[in-house]
Amino acid sequence: MNKVELAVIGAGPAGLAAAIEAAQLGVKVVVFDENAQPGGQLFKQIHKFFGSREHRAGTRGFRIGQELLAQTEELGVKVNLGSTVFGLDKRNLWVLKEGKTEVYQADAVIVAAGASENALAFPGSTLPGVMTAGAAQTFINLHRVLPGKKVLMVGSGNVGLIVSYQLMQAGAEVVGLVEAAPSIGGYGVHAAKIKRAGVPLFLGHTIAEAIGEHQVESAVLTKLNESFQPIPGSEITLEVDTICIAVGLTPMMELARMAGAELKYVPKLGGHVPVNNDNMETSITGMFVAGDVCGVEEASSAMEEGRLAGVTAAEYLKHIAGKAAADRKALIREQLSAIRNGTFGNKEHLKDKVKEENTLGLRFSGTPSKDELDSCPGVPSEGRLAKGPVAVIECVQEIPCNPCEQVCPKGAIKVGKPITSLPQLTENACNGCASCVTACPGLAIVTVDRTYDENKALVTFPYEYLPLPETGATVHAVNRQGERICYGQVVKVRNNKKADGTVAISLAVPEEYAMEVRSMAKGGTK
Amino acid sequence: MTETNKKEVIICRCEDVSEVEIKQAIEEGFTTINAIKKRLRTGMGLCQGRTCQKLVARIIAQETGKSMEEILLPTTRPPVRPIIMGAFEGEDQ
Repeated sequence: MNKVELAVIGAGPAGLAAAIEAAQLGVKVVVFDENAQPGGQLFKQIHKFFGSREHRAGTRGFRIGQELLAQTEELGVKVNLGSTVFGLDKRNLWVLKEGKTEVYQADAVIVAAGASENALAFPGSTLPGVMTAGAAQTFINLHRVLPGKKVLMVGSGNVGLIVSYQLMQAGAEVVGLVEAAPSIGGYGVHAAKIKRAGVPLFLGHTIAEAIGEHQVESAVLTKLNESFQPIPGSEITLEVDTICIAVGLTPMMELARMAGAELKYVPKLGGHVPVNNDNMETSITGMFVAGDVCGVEEASSAMEEGRLAGVTAAEYLKHIAGKAAADRKALIREQLSAIRNGTFGNKEHLKDKVKEENTLGLRFSGTPSKDELDSCPGVPSEGRLAKGPVAVIECVQEIPCNPCEQVCPKGAIKVGKPITSLPQLTENACNGCASCVTACPGLAIVTVDRTYDENKALVTFPYEYLPLPETGATVHAVNRQGERICYGQVVKVRNNKKADGTVAISLAVPEEYAMEVRSMAKGGTK
Repeated sequence: MTETNKKEVIICRCEDVSEVEIKQAIEEGFTTINAIKKRLRTGMGLCQGRTCQKLVARIIAQETGKSMEEILLPTTRPPVRPIIMGAFEGEDQ
């Protein structure tokens, strides 16, 4: 029997954040994770995270993972890898490590076990080539193996959108993205990225069948009616070799349940979750939860929940008390509720703010509508555009994010509080320097200079595909829908180290396309 | 029914159980995840139900008219991951 003060189950964003917070308060922490590598899903996340500037927004996920690991090391937190916690009884853990069982008795336990991906069953779903989006992401971002060349993505939540983008970055073609609902589930800016790359979105469709003899050779889609029933005769066949399933996650609450924690069924959170309060306490004394295990969200909120659980556990273990503890928790809670504000906040105690008033715009097409752009506080006026280079911030959804505000050397962008507010451009303060272009994690900002040349405008946009174009090359310029609308000449390629791989490309395009061109075709040299 | 709908759909991959078999079991009166597990071994394979459990629950909901909330979870007991029997021998051996 091994004694530990605080056992944390799971070394993902929630578990590591919890361990760091508790260790900082003097708690002796031991972390267990069944995987060979720590970080949970963080090391697969090569995209830049949203969030606030205080909380590493604009930083790529895997770098956040590296930072968390460095902190645990610094604090002397023991992270046991390859250690499967297979049983939990109150505060006793049964751990399998290197083929041997070890029993740990902990004074307090934080369960941060994460979530697992949902499956989808359809004829042919057992064919090789059908896999979860998370598996495809592991292939490309951890093992650097392309699972296929022509991919169909099923599901338009953030996982489906992000993995589609990353598959394209890795060199695959995404033939289509299917979503049963009539609107896109994830962040519009993620959808806009794949839309600009020309990926067709099949909203109101589902996958009917995967066809192939020994592996996936094609996929049949079918349109759904309003009650989500297939419409006969609406089938579309796409030639694909890979089908990725991104249809949500289910909290891995088995350990908490086995230990006797009370559960509640909350569909929005992914299913049955351990009941917890705003201290992350479960119904069992000395047992706390954090992250996806108590409701599927994003890594940024998982880290905040982890910190909260860490403080509560430290308080329970008498390392912090009274006002000091209360203040610390209040600060984290404030951060959490800021992240959860806006269009996409989805934890139980939050209202569903998503209103589907019309069927136009970003949520329905992956492209902001004219109305959305006209009313967007980040888009400059005609008058300002006529005067010279200026940022065009096409950010129309309330998501928790503000790196643009921080990076602007002129103070021309304001997000303020709440952090989900849309960025406001003070158009006369902006000089079109394009610092914000590569800072925006959503790749939603371009600069436009309509005075560049007599009949040419200069559009500077963010670009994250290889190979990069050569200066002077003529390339296919694309609009928000990914259509090749004209040729553009590459005037400048700025690969600033600070932008961590997001390259600013300046393209000279015919003046009439200044407000249409938003990117270039991947590898699209003339 | 199109040709597509008639094709076999596997729900539990570990134990090779089809949608048709599950629907038959429900008709025979096995209407909980646990009961279907005992009848057909769904969720008893390598993944321990992480793939099929929600799919089985959805089929039960669909066939019986129950809401997902009403469908009871199967029993959870150690080990939550498949582990080799030898691991239980422990230090005493």
